[in-house]
Amino acid sequence: MSKDNKKTSLRYRLLWPIRNEKWQPITIPVASILFSFIVAAIVILLLGKNPIQAFYNLFQGAGIFPKATYAGYKSMLTDFLSLLDAMTPLVFASLAVAVALRAGLFNIGVSGQMLFSGFIATIIVGYSGLDAFVAKPLVLLIGMIAGGLMGGLVGWLKYKFNIHEVVTTIMLNYIAQYVISFFIHNYYIDPVSRQSKYITEAARLTLVNFEFANLKMDIPLGFILAIAVAIFVKFLLDKTVVGFEIKAVGSNRDAAKYTGIKVGSNMILAMIISGGLAGLAGVTYYLGDFASIQPKVLTSLGFDSIAVALLGNSHPIGIIFSSFLISIIDQGSTYMSSQAGIRQEIASVIIGLILLFSACGAYVKHKVSRLKEKEVDRKDSES
Amino acid sequence: MSEYIVEMKHITKRFPGIVANDDVSIGIKKGEIFALLGENGAGKSTLMSMLSGMYEPDEGEIYIRGEKVQISSPNHAANLNIGMVHQHFKLVEDYTITENIILGIEPIKKFAGLFPYVGIRGANRKIEELSKKFGLEVDPTKKIADLTVSMQQRVEILKVLYREAEILIFDEPTAVLTPQEIDFLLAIIEGLRNSGKTIILITHKLEEIKRVADRCAVLNKGKLIDVLDVETTSVNLMAQLMVGREVNFESEKTPAQFKEEVLKVEQLTVKNEDGFEVVKDVSFTIHSGEIFAIAGVADNGQVEIADAIAGLIKASGGKIFLNGQDITNDSIRNRTESGISYIPEDRQKFGLFLDFDLSTNLGSKQYYKKPFSNKGILNKQEFDQFGTQLIEKYDIRSGQGIKTQVRSMSGGNQQKAIIAREIELQSPLMIFVQPTRGVDIGAIENIHRMMIEQRDQGKAILLVSLELDEIMNVADTIGVIYNGQLQKVASSDSLTTNEVGEYMMGAKHE
Repeated sequence: MSKDNKKTSLRYRLLWPIRNEKWQPITIPVASILFSFIVAAIVILLLGKNPIQAFYNLFQGAGIFPKATYAGYKSMLTDFLSLLDAMTPLVFASLAVAVALRAGLFNIGVSGQMLFSGFIATIIVGYSGLDAFVAKPLVLLIGMIAGGLMGGLVGWLKYKFNIHEVVTTIMLNYIAQYVISFFIHNYYIDPVSRQSKYITEAARLTLVNFEFANLKMDIPLGFILAIAVAIFVKFLLDKTVVGFEIKAVGSNRDAAKYTGIKVGSNMILAMIISGGLAGLAGVTYYLGDFASIQPKVLTSLGFDSIAVALLGNSHPIGIIFSSFLISIIDQGSTYMSSQAGIRQEIASVIIGLILLFSACGAYVKHKVSRLKEKEVDRKDSES
Repeated sequence: MSEYIVEMKHITKRFPGIVANDDVSIGIKKGEIFALLGENGAGKSTLMSMLSGMYEPDEGEIYIRGEKVQISSPNHAANLNIGMVHQHFKLVEDYTITENIILGIEPIKKFAGLFPYVGIRGANRKIEELSKKFGLEVDPTKKIADLTVSMQQRVEILKVLYREAEILIFDEPTAVLTPQEIDFLLAIIEGLRNSGKTIILITHKLEEIKRVADRCAVLNKGKLIDVLDVETTSVNLMAQLMVGREVNFESEKTPAQFKEEVLKVEQLTVKNEDGFEVVKDVSFTIHSGEIFAIAGVADNGQVEIADAIAGLIKASGGKIFLNGQDITNDSIRNRTESGISYIPEDRQKFGLFLDFDLSTNLGSKQYYKKPFSNKGILNKQEFDQFGTQLIEKYDIRSGQGIKTQVRSMSGGNQQKAIIAREIELQSPLMIFVQPTRGVDIGAIENIHRMMIEQRDQGKAILLVSLELDEIMNVADTIGVIYNGQLQKVASSDSLTTNEVGEYMMGAKHE
């Protein structure tokens, strides 16, 4: 009996960093990130390489730490800007998932919404030759509207015909993927790259090869907007009547109805917002870094964003950090593989582990509170 | 051999944060009806769960027929001839009575000595015999879905008898029954005792104990207070011991003073999801200063009436007027604004956002208007102030005040929170559906007092309850519903409990 007691309290003591419930939204994701790096380190050790070196390379590649040498016109700053460029659509996409989640809806169609809005913006503005000052805001606006319409359709189908949003979003993913690929093949194909024709520089949301202080860098114009939008979404969810209703519907649909909230219109609204955010992800992705659309391919970013949103606890500010981390691992992987001789896929393993551990977050939380109760009990019965 | 068939000695059982049973010792004699009395959460069910093998005690010993046993599972308990009749029935709706009873111990026969099959006919016969022997009157070939609640309960009893139980535990068996059905059940229980079975009756209804039990153990907060001889103990003393203080059975009530008409329901008809009419042509009025109660057995349409008035379901026919204004097609929000407060039956499903904190829940019916929000922006401070005020005023107890997650609060305090929120709306019409379900006696008293207070302040109150005592106690006017139709509407003084019971069964109507 006494041995058992000791064991419990040791376990309890080991858990001290994640015991405080107030800090759990932060401590548990951090703990899962640490755990995944430890497990990844073991994997790298098994491969016979130095994990510390590998992780360092990862951060070097992403522009967090300086590399030993740089090619012409490149520096740590250009790497870092590339990181932000890659991170921008991920922030928008994860916010899209999070807003839907808060309303109790699972938007698995972010990829499709991204493709649709990216395509619409490409054909309306991308080839138009409009002036940059008109074209860029227009791209953002069109992206938001196109994504919002597609999201709203999902919400409306749910409200009107009670079709589960997971079904509609998956189906719409396919529809978007193939219908758009038909149009690209027939009207917008670049015969050399086998992708859609490149859009004008004026319409792009990334300033490519911007020369400054003898460097050529890619400046992601959408990044500032992504941060601003994240803060706005936080404000919307936490401080407004609209956010209150969306969260109420997500927390308990029956109680929301009882309270007098219009459940249907709030679900549609949440999906419009979610789709609109996915639309922003779409334009910063297809009209940012890439400037072109590859037919018949849905970006995996839309699916990764589900996990990134979960890692960030569906919290807008949390999402900025989780997107940042995931983007670092993603961006740094090429450099890591070239420097440490570890295959690039290890980066995906690390991301996978992080998401796996963070998905266990709710369980860990539950376990910790159980342990806590037991501990209190034990102390009571001893004294 | 000891005189007791069941002996539990110094039983202690702890759950996280609570001692459910604290050094409880009881002995039960063969062939008696032994009652366990206590409020919700007093530890009655926990104690019996240890006898029926659901839990094992942390400390203490159990003796059955003088032998020390460790009951590790419900199967083990069944082997010791202990059977429990659960409060919530565990029956397969689509199976017949016999199929339900033999489930798990099917009599296997072999066709032509080779092919196994379930000997359903023999089982049918056996169950019919059992049913006759104990006066249970069931047809074993009927499907559960076609049975009334009281019949289903008899199936549960047969289930334990079929497993040759000698010691039968009844967990709150009368909670779902009408007075007539209760009479019938109590007669069955007495019959079982007379044929030599030992009965343990878990209940918080004193009057039943007085009627059938031989001895009675009173539990309060996990501790055994006393074991009483029922015949020589007054109901009042039992109640006092149970609650730990004196209890008012009759709510003190000044005579009602009806004023103007507040709610008028005209030929209301409501269909359920399957298109079946669950409320048929119901008409009644409620005045300011009146408590109008709808009495009836569960699922006879009374909840649908309340839902239709509050707007949660659509009326398929008829009209609803509030203060003379037709609200039949208004939205829920508009009805709330026109003056309806609603305390719903299922407080966790409808009444509360369990993952939100207490202050948010308390403000959840007013968040959209001043001062809780202004131009679409919420004012968190107002929520907190309002919450703090209500916690004080209505004595809502919670771990961390307004910041407590409602999920972690006790049922009684959750209910207090809902009632507080609804009273604060200051609506001329208040609907209470099963307001005292699952809350303990002290809280029940308090809720009744608040209802009468509201009435005296000139509110019109619609009470829907399955507890006939409650209705007789607080109502000014009683409408009895059976099968979706109001059988009788009369002043509560002009009706006796038995008459109401007869109307509830559809046995009597106007």
